[in-house]
Amino acid sequence: MRPGFGWSRRAALAGLGLAGLAGLGLAGCGSSARSRREVPLWFTYGGRNREVLEALVARFNQDPSRVPVRPIYQGDYFEGLAKLRIALAARAAPALSHVVGEVVPYLAEAGVLEALDGYAPREDFELVPALGQSGTWIGGGERELVTLPFNRSTPIAYLNAELFERAGLGAPRTWEELRAVASALTLRRGSRIERYGFGCPVDWWFWVALVGQAGGDVVEPDGRVSLGGEAGVRALELWQTLVRRDRSMKPPPGRDYNAWEQTNQDFLAGRAAMIWTSTAFLKYLEDNAKFRVLAAPLPSGVRSAVPTGGTHWVILKSAEASQKRAAFRFLEFMQLERQAVEWATRTGYIPVTKGALRSLERRGHYDTHPNERVAIDQLGAARPWPWSPRLFRVQREVVQPRLERAVLADGSAREMIREGVELSRRI
Amino acid sequence: MRPARRTDPLWLLGPSLLFLFVFVVYPLGHALRLSLYDWDLLTPERYVGLENYRALFESGDFCTILQSTLSVSLTAVAFSMLIGLALALAVNRPGRLAAFARTSIFSAYVVSWVSVALLWLWLLDADAGLVSAFGRALGFERAGLLASPHTAPFAIAGVVVWKIAGYSMVLFLSGLQSIPTSVLEAAALDGAGAWQRLRRVVLPLLGPTSAFVGTTSLILTFQAFDVVRIMTQGGPVRSTTVFVYSIYEQMFVGLRVGRASAEALVFFAVLLVLTGLELVFHQRRQAL
Repeated sequence: MRPGFGWSRRAALAGLGLAGLAGLGLAGCGSSARSRREVPLWFTYGGRNREVLEALVARFNQDPSRVPVRPIYQGDYFEGLAKLRIALAARAAPALSHVVGEVVPYLAEAGVLEALDGYAPREDFELVPALGQSGTWIGGGERELVTLPFNRSTPIAYLNAELFERAGLGAPRTWEELRAVASALTLRRGSRIERYGFGCPVDWWFWVALVGQAGGDVVEPDGRVSLGGEAGVRALELWQTLVRRDRSMKPPPGRDYNAWEQTNQDFLAGRAAMIWTSTAFLKYLEDNAKFRVLAAPLPSGVRSAVPTGGTHWVILKSAEASQKRAAFRFLEFMQLERQAVEWATRTGYIPVTKGALRSLERRGHYDTHPNERVAIDQLGAARPWPWSPRLFRVQREVVQPRLERAVLADGSAREMIREGVELSRRI
Repeated sequence: MRPARRTDPLWLLGPSLLFLFVFVVYPLGHALRLSLYDWDLLTPERYVGLENYRALFESGDFCTILQSTLSVSLTAVAFSMLIGLALALAVNRPGRLAAFARTSIFSAYVVSWVSVALLWLWLLDADAGLVSAFGRALGFERAGLLASPHTAPFAIAGVVVWKIAGYSMVLFLSGLQSIPTSVLEAAALDGAGAWQRLRRVVLPLLGPTSAFVGTTSLILTFQAFDVVRIMTQGGPVRSTTVFVYSIYEQMFVGLRVGRASAEALVFFAVLLVLTGLELVFHQRRQAL
């Protein structure tokens, strides 16, 4: 039977095929034209942080004279990073994204990051030194500017104030006090543990904090990966003691941010009296806890030390020049006092510009929100990351699996560090 | 039947051959080439010969990954086949109830791996999960099955069994229904009881089905990536870092294209050997 309008079946099929191809072509043209008129921003937050970022992007986009920014969610930091690197290789990278500090030296050495010095003098931003490129990496200030700080944090301690008050305890200031407090607040019923005194993800970031507190550095000033040497061993042994001997620290199941989330849930559900996690969760924990949350600095070993964390804005060199200029305008907008203050106060991250800090001090914000001051005060003890392109591989391939083996299985701390240093040489 | 022209079979086979070449032969060849290079996708590739293979074996990673993979796969294949067979025997009867049971059991197989993983993540949660609550009611200490390197591979295997047992059941059902009733009746007339009929008649006749179920289940369990990605991310202490997950980590986390390709080829060889062994085992049993 012939189809209607007197067409043959073959002609009808050919017509449909052509129409389909034309449609695809038009869709492709449309998408390409649209992508040139906007700045794709790949971001890696969920929950409240995502809401705040999207609200700030919407504010930026309200001005019709600006090229709009289109935020695109890419999973957590590590998923986002994997996608970004694949996209770079496939020449499909966005103009703008944000990445963790450990990977910046690698991306910079690979030549994929746009130098920002040509867009504006770096002094214009008035960055908090410990959070900008100059303070985040050893020698970062002498290199060409390839990042601007975005969501910056340090690890801090969160205390269940009610449990601490009931037990007549204060925040631990030394490793010895940490052990004593964790044991005192651990609630046992027979051989069962109803509540742990302390919870912390067995994660590289917190171990780096401990190594610093024990007096070591993961990478020596000459670039040699030492994993802290004896300090690295002592840091691991502290965790082993808390988990295996004292049984007062809960290492949460899961890896990466699954373990972090589990730590938060343990704290909120009263299964851990004190946890270490990022300042990023300050608002989330304060809003969701049924008890009063108290923030405190991490305890000291032979010295006070914390790494900084969070991410930095990067503009990808592969983007079109007009998109890169538009992306930089967005970065300028985000560093303005209003946005920097709003981002910090609505999330818990540290304000990245001196102007934002001054503004909050002037308003007495930290008198009414003392928990937010903890991370800022702790910046004095922040230790910069080494500028090492191998750092992210040392983190992911060498250290992380060995931390788990030493704490969750029966690995020896000394053997783990020795093995790790050996393996780092071959990376 | 002879083709009209000698080239006709080639035209008919063409689409399949093209598909096979583009999606199987070419990627394998490309992976073989890449496995000889050190490449991170961003900087120029560097020829390293067999270095990626040497690193895989010398670092001890091969043994760790093989152990994790076999712990998950062999446990999952053995139990899914046993449970699938038991279920097939139980529901191999007429009636609406049996039909409902067959559909219900098979439904787990059509649910996506991601949904299954999320469901079991909740069920196995150390504090809020039903399985853990049951364990605590029996007097076990609060400890998540996914938190210990000793139990995590078996917890993952358990989830895989739950998902694919329905698949084994359906295949065993078709195997059972292809056994002529006259054979079973003859065995019964000869005085064989239910157990003897199962052992001496049914199981031997299910040999080819078992070989098929075993081989396909092995391949299915070797490819169980989503469940590991969502439930354990390869941990704790790499106890659930199975081959596919390790390849993903090397490729997308470590950006080691050469190493990931080397692992993919070794994984291919291991799977080939295991499948071959399984088929030989079944053929020998058939021959006996």
